[in-house]
Amino acid sequence: MTARTVLEVKNLVMNYEIKAGMVSAVENVSFSLPQGKSLGLVGESGCGKTSVALTLLRLQAPNARILGGEVLLDGENLLDLSSEEMRKRRWSGISMVFQGAMNSWNPVYTVGDQILEAIDLHWDPKPTAAKARAKIVELFGLVGLNPDMIDRYPHEYSGGMKQRAVIAMALSCDPRLIIADEPTTALDVIVQEQILAELKKIQEQMGMSIIYISHDIAVIAEITDLLGVMYAGKLVEVGPTVEVFARPRHPYTWLILSSTPSITGERRQLAPLEGEPPNLLDPPTGCRFHPRCPFATELCVTEEPPLAVIDDGHSVACWHHEKVPVGVRSGR
Amino acid sequence: MLKFVSRRLVQMVGLFFLFLTLVFFLLQAQPGDISNLFIDPNLPREVQEQLRERLGLDGSVWSQWATYLTNFVRGNLGVSFSQYPRPVLDIILEALPRTMFLFTLATLCSYIVGFSLGKHLAWRRGGFSEYSVTIGGVLLYTVFYPWFAVIVILTFGSRLGWFPINGFLTPEFWRNAPYSGNQVFTQMILSLFIAGAIAAFTAWWARRQKDRRRARLIRVTGYGASLGSIVVFWALRGDMRPYALDIAHHSVLPVMTLTLVAFAGVMLLTRGSMLETLREDYILTARAKGVPERVIRDRHAARNALLPVVTSFVLGLAFIIGGGVVTETVFSWPGMGLLLLGSTVIEDVPLATGALAFIGILALVAHLVVDILYAVLDPRIRIAGGR
Repeated sequence: MTARTVLEVKNLVMNYEIKAGMVSAVENVSFSLPQGKSLGLVGESGCGKTSVALTLLRLQAPNARILGGEVLLDGENLLDLSSEEMRKRRWSGISMVFQGAMNSWNPVYTVGDQILEAIDLHWDPKPTAAKARAKIVELFGLVGLNPDMIDRYPHEYSGGMKQRAVIAMALSCDPRLIIADEPTTALDVIVQEQILAELKKIQEQMGMSIIYISHDIAVIAEITDLLGVMYAGKLVEVGPTVEVFARPRHPYTWLILSSTPSITGERRQLAPLEGEPPNLLDPPTGCRFHPRCPFATELCVTEEPPLAVIDDGHSVACWHHEKVPVGVRSGR
Repeated sequence: MLKFVSRRLVQMVGLFFLFLTLVFFLLQAQPGDISNLFIDPNLPREVQEQLRERLGLDGSVWSQWATYLTNFVRGNLGVSFSQYPRPVLDIILEALPRTMFLFTLATLCSYIVGFSLGKHLAWRRGGFSEYSVTIGGVLLYTVFYPWFAVIVILTFGSRLGWFPINGFLTPEFWRNAPYSGNQVFTQMILSLFIAGAIAAFTAWWARRQKDRRRARLIRVTGYGASLGSIVVFWALRGDMRPYALDIAHHSVLPVMTLTLVAFAGVMLLTRGSMLETLREDYILTARAKGVPERVIRDRHAARNALLPVVTSFVLGLAFIIGGGVVTETVFSWPGMGLLLLGSTVIEDVPLATGALAFIGILALVAHLVVDILYAVLDPRIRIAGGR
């Protein structure tokens, strides 16, 4: 690990304040991402993946309360910046490809104009019209779109084209980090595959870092270097993607992988993951996974396990990670 | 776009034909023989018959209808019974500009004020000012309009004495005037039209600019020139100016009353539409892009929130026309509304039919303008209707 660290998140705690109380959406999340690497964040709906992503850009909902932690982008804590300074970091430092690109475009402006808006805001010095245009043409080429489409309106694009254009826009200010939140969820599998492959190619060419967020562990597995698994607002396991897949150390990761079919692996009955995610208004004491965990003991109910390093770069938050068997579980 | 407009024009002609027919038969269906009202029953029977024939009241309803339509196409709307022998068209052409003036001004004011207030209300949701303005808006929106107009007259016309309580001009002041009211009024409309055209051209030209600083420069000079044109126009017509001011003075209260009632609806609708727009994904995208908040509000949210507000204009047209009758009656403003009411009450059928026909034309034209505006504002419609 010699690469420079682009992003470091330390002990991030974020709650949503609602009438019924505080919802513990992000609890003590820490991870770091080296330059040019990609990190996948997986977990069930409502586990806090998107909350983490939005907090990195400080775009959290108005009722969100950041109770602690640091978000260091190239060593600079974004949570300490004034809102005007933060506004300047957006897109030029961290850009984002949103969940549901279908609606990411303002219907009344052309796609080219919307990309130009970002360029005009962040490029320093502000480029000439011709230079900005050349950049947009280049970006369109990069994501596999015909430059003739630049002056078209979003409704003239197909779903996949919109998503490609969103990626082009995310690249327009040469950010150090791109957050891709469910970048391909709304697309069919073939288009999904193409776009992910292109995203990976672009990332390697330009040497930027990417955080992928998805509930689809199979998608993440193909394209990321690192994998983080979230459960109920907590990061329970993080490590090199290959290792996490080969040898999951957290019972939750192990159970998800056991419930995922594999084409190349042996034929087996899938083992469903029993139970439901907890209510984050009143999260379980100790380890948040203990009500669903087959290995839970008294210790798990009372004491919260820390995210501890067990192998090189592989960390897990579990008291009993050595009990997690090698290989996936089979259903009955 | 041209195809779209020409198709709409053809539709409008068809619609207008149906409308005119309906109006004609509705007015014919009034109980009683209209001719008895305007022909002295003491005249000898033959003279009565002759008069009926000259007024076109002999023959069946169907033949009268056919005659009316033919004459209408030729621009002959008949003569008024109550102001015999003045042609209907003449009377209408005198009243029409007054109504258009009143409603164009009131509509523009209410849409500009209502839209910008509604935009701010949605943006600063939850504050005390938002609640109080919203409640004020609901009060104005639901108020019984004729009562409200009387209260306005009572306050500003009678108690404070700032404005004349009714009428179009002060008769004493105009007694030896070298101009007729209509001459002066035509000039007023002309000057407003010039200013409006300059402003519209400015807005269009500024929108086409890619460079924002240049667009701002065009806006500042263009809107300045628009105001300047009014100043220059009236500087050149110095002797007409006091009379124009008298008419303008009379128009303040009706315009204000109509604006107050109409803007509330626009404001509440904009607020709702804007609140919905602010939840859209592209607003989050704009924030993530680091677009400044004020630009998100105006360029991204308000621009989209405008679309349903423009549509509402078409739906509000009926209110504007109905409100026209009430406003013009309460303020004795001699426009189409007063004409329609007066001619209907005394059963002057040619005048009432003519007035309704022109109100119909006004409504259709306003509808077309809104359709074009909508197509300009929304690229999705622009393209579906042919580029």
